[in-house]
This record gives sequence, C-alpha cells and structure tokens, in this order.
Amino acid sequence: MLIMLGEFEYLLVTAAAGLGDQAYGAAIREEIEATTGRKCSIGALYTTIERLEKKGLLKTWMGEATPQRGGRAKRMVRVTPKGVQAAEDFYDAVMRVSRGAAWVAGRSGSAT
Amino acid sequence: MTGANWSLLELAARLLEREEREAVLGDLREVRESTWEGLIGVFGLVLRRQTNLWKSWRPWLAGFGVAIPSSFLLMGVSLSVSWSYQRLLCPDLLKAASLTRASGLLVLLWQAGLLMGWAWTSGFVVGSASRRTLWASAVLCYSPCLFCLSRFRVDSLSRYCLLLFLLPAIGGVRQGLRSSRMKLGPALLLALGVTLLMIPTMSAGQLWWNAPRLSLGWALSLPAWYLVATARRTVELSAQNLTKTI
Repeated sequence: MLIMLGEFEYLLVTAAAGLGDQAYGAAIREEIEATTGRKCSIGALYTTIERLEKKGLLKTWMGEATPQRGGRAKRMVRVTPKGVQAAEDFYDAVMRVSRGAAWVAGRSGSAT
Repeated sequence: MTGANWSLLELAARLLEREEREAVLGDLREVRESTWEGLIGVFGLVLRRQTNLWKSWRPWLAGFGVAIPSSFLLMGVSLSVSWSYQRLLCPDLLKAASLTRASGLLVLLWQAGLLMGWAWTSGFVVGSASRRTLWASAVLCYSPCLFCLSRFRVDSLSRYCLLLFLLPAIGGVRQGLRSSRMKLGPALLLALGVTLLMIPTMSAGQLWWNAPRLSLGWALSLPAWYLVATARRTVELSAQNLTKTI
C-alpha cells in the first residue's frame, strides 16, 4: 500500500536519512531548521516521529547519554526501508507535479 | 540557563512520559535554548500529546460516560449506606423501618457490597480507558462531588459520608491502570454478583432513590458488564491466535 507523506514528514525522514547513525531529536531539528530556514518546534518534531514510527517508516530507541546533554539520553531515529520507499514516492510525486511549472523552468537541476 | 530556570523546565517536562522527558530535556540542554522557548516547546508537545489522546473514544467514555454519572449515583448509594448504618445504631429507626437488628445489619452489608462492587468496577473502567487522561477523569469525578458536598444539608450525617465510594473506586482505578482488561472468569463473576445484589436491593426500595430505581441500578452495573465484554474479546483474540498457530 502506498503511504503518502506530508511535507513535514518528508523533511523529517530526509533529514534523518541524511544524518544516518547520528539521527536523533536535536540533530534532526537543527538539520530541518538549517535547510528550510524555518523554526521547527519540539512538539511538531516528536509527535511526527511517533506518527511515522506507528506507520513503520521510522524506528526509534533510547541512545546514550552525554555530558553536553546534562546526562540525558538521546532518542535515536533510523529510517526503515518502508520509510525510504515512502520518501522516494513523495519525491517522485513532487518532481512529476512540478514539470512545466513556471518556477521550475530555467533552474539548474530542474525536473525533466 | 540558570538553575532555577532549568528546574522550572524540568517541572513542566514532568507532564511528559519518562523517555520522552529524557529526550526533550537533553535536546533543550544540548541546543542551549532559552527558558521561555523551552517552556513553549514543552507545553506545545504536551498539548499535542493530549489532543492526540482525545481523538480516541476511550477518554470520552471514561470521563463523560463513567466518571460523571457514576460519581453522582454513587454519592446517592453512599448516602444510603450511611443511613442504613445510622439506622442500625438507633433502635427507634430500626423499628420504624420494621427491621430487626439482624435484618438491618444484612441490609447494610448488602448495600455496602453493592457500593463496593459498583465503585470498584467504575474505577477499573476509568483507569483502564483513560490511562494518560486520568487527570481529566479525576476532575470530572470530583466536580460533582464538590457540588454535592457544598449543598449537603443533613444534620444527623457528616457531609463526607457522600464520599464512601471513593476508596473502592480508587482501588479500581489503580487496578485498571495496572491491567487494562480482566480475565473473563473474574469479570463475569463480578458482573453477575453486582447484578444479583442489585435486583432485590433496588426493587425492595432499600436505596435512596424512588421511581427509576432499576434503570439507575443497571446504569451503575454497566461498567461491570463492559469489563465482561472487553474480557471476552481478549479470550476471542487468544482463540484466534491459537487457530493461526495451529
């Protein structure tokens, strides 16, 4: 069954996939804020992580605690194969729907 | 962030579950967020979590279907038990009710058993159906209690006799929090016990209300039968799993 991601869900899955073994709450949040230039709230981040985990697109577990975190553990995140597929589907859909759009024409690496 | 500000943030984060609190506080410490932004973040997450919980029918059932009506009705039953106790201590009242000391004691024990059964099963349903929204069910239970306590005007009885049901109800809530469903055998035994105790008590007019006695009694017995219904589903699921395994 095709799972269509939402925009924020796609950002989160992509950021987590890009961070690989270093994907956890604060790192994903920073990555999203750095790439989009938009504020990412803790509430949106953690509720979305939980929702995606329920759909089987992410797997999470409690990681190690570090001194810079005041001895608190990280919630580590890994994208599952199903999550990768859902992100690919989302990306393909965005590329397809963007073909011929005025803001795409003339850009390098534009949708073909 | 100063120590006091961090303590404030830790206090707010207590509204989150343990693992999530750990991750969130660690994230806030790592990115050195300001207290104000941290508080907004934590409360935002708590609000989202609560909103998600209320999308289910369970907290609605626990709060509005059981906690409010049951607490109203159980206060009535508590009052009835208190009357029976008072009557047992006063020979004139016993005589007026055409009861001997032994039959008065039997009525009291009968009513007390019924009160405990109703309160415990109602508490169990509330505890099992609203684990993470228990605070709301508690508020919805205590609101009618406060309302009735403030309007209680019987000189011969303490107003706190209305709250006799609270102890078994809290016991039920604790049990409901521990195990979300009962085994079919004990659930059925409890439901049948409560129903059998109810019928003669209600039809003999031993409880405080008059006209729709039996229907109110059934309303209080519904949580017990809900436990039977949910317990039966567990058995069915086990049977299905067994069939699949075979």
